[in-house]
Amino acid sequence: MLQLVWSAEPDAERIVDTYGNMLFRICLVILCNEKDAEDAVQDTFITYLTKSPAFNDSEHEKAWLITIATNRCKNMRRYNIIRKHLDINNLQLYSKNDKNHDLLDHLMRLPTKPKVVLLLHYVEGYKVDEIAKILAITTSAVKKRLQRGREILRESYRKENEYGF
Amino acid sequence: MDFEKIKDAVTSIEMSKAMEDRVKENSGKKKTVPVNDKSWISAACAFGILLAIMIGMPYLTKSGEVTNFSITAYALSDDGKELNTTTITSEKATIDLATEDRMDRILSISGDGANLIFTDIRLKITGEQIDTITYTLSGGKFIEDVVFTYKEYIDREWLQAEKINFITREPSSDEYQGIKEVGSTYTVNYNEQENHQYSIAIPHNGNEVIGDDVIIKANVKYTDGNSEQQDIMVTQELDAISLKLK
Repeated sequence: MLQLVWSAEPDAERIVDTYGNMLFRICLVILCNEKDAEDAVQDTFITYLTKSPAFNDSEHEKAWLITIATNRCKNMRRYNIIRKHLDINNLQLYSKNDKNHDLLDHLMRLPTKPKVVLLLHYVEGYKVDEIAKILAITTSAVKKRLQRGREILRESYRKENEYGF
Repeated sequence: MDFEKIKDAVTSIEMSKAMEDRVKENSGKKKTVPVNDKSWISAACAFGILLAIMIGMPYLTKSGEVTNFSITAYALSDDGKELNTTTITSEKATIDLATEDRMDRILSISGDGANLIFTDIRLKITGEQIDTITYTLSGGKFIEDVVFTYKEYIDREWLQAEKINFITREPSSDEYQGIKEVGSTYTVNYNEQENHQYSIAIPHNGNEVIGDDVIIKANVKYTDGNSEQQDIMVTQELDAISLKLK
């Protein structure tokens, strides 16, 4: 039986063009610091090009890159005890949709674990079981983090509208 | 909360052109270098010799004490698979596990649930001729996740008899999940470790931070009557738990 194997040349130009912005936005939202986000994306691509892993298809390749990038971000967060936060005015440098900068700001202030799960589910469109595989956690942990993230997000948004801060 | 708007805002984030060029340039520089065949063979030989030494070598604690068993830590997925499996050594192993997932949803029936950080960490021992293993915690409790029905949920006597002191429940679920208290120590037969997968609940200082260092003593009794012990130190790093041999 003929087995189809997805194959793509591990070249820097192609992967940065294809996945650069996707990984950068994930890393920026997690790390809240553009320099750290750039470093995390850079490290992810270097790991990719050094290891040259084999993938079944482009979705497999994308999920692998997200796993490496989110792990890199988690390691970087671990050593940054003081949470750095990107000033909302600086968001305009990277986000072209300025209407919803306040929503983005709320998302970035979430704790890392629920934030990553919300990003993968609502922004990248992954299902619960797919996120569980990418992050190597259980499906119930994904559901709990989704629920917790939604709760915190709603609460912080409600407080801002109520008290105007 | 409009998640479509959040999605629009996040997907509009892009790298600047200068940043994109930098990433391309730096990634290209670090591309795989061709492997020198001769040095590869030398490295393979060195690795082979090292592997041969390691296979025959007993396990060492930090104090240099020799033991004949190794301890691994892992989390258990819903379908019974082990996740994040890590061998515990004298080097710190950080395990990024769900220490926060049970917060805000715990209903304490009795006991001190509010003062415990519930982790998903489980331990397993590997070695030869091991009869039983006894784990002892210097602080906190070993716990077991259990599932029960509404009928059992309303039977307070049954809950107390089973030592189910804490209850978590997913909203809109008919299934009740409980945390059963196993105690600060338990003994398990080596061949029955799979049937007694208990995780660890650690006391915190009121701000979700581990107060004092917690030590887990893992005492192994061999079939010839001899016994050995390794101590594991548990520490906390942000929202992860670290384990290392003391």
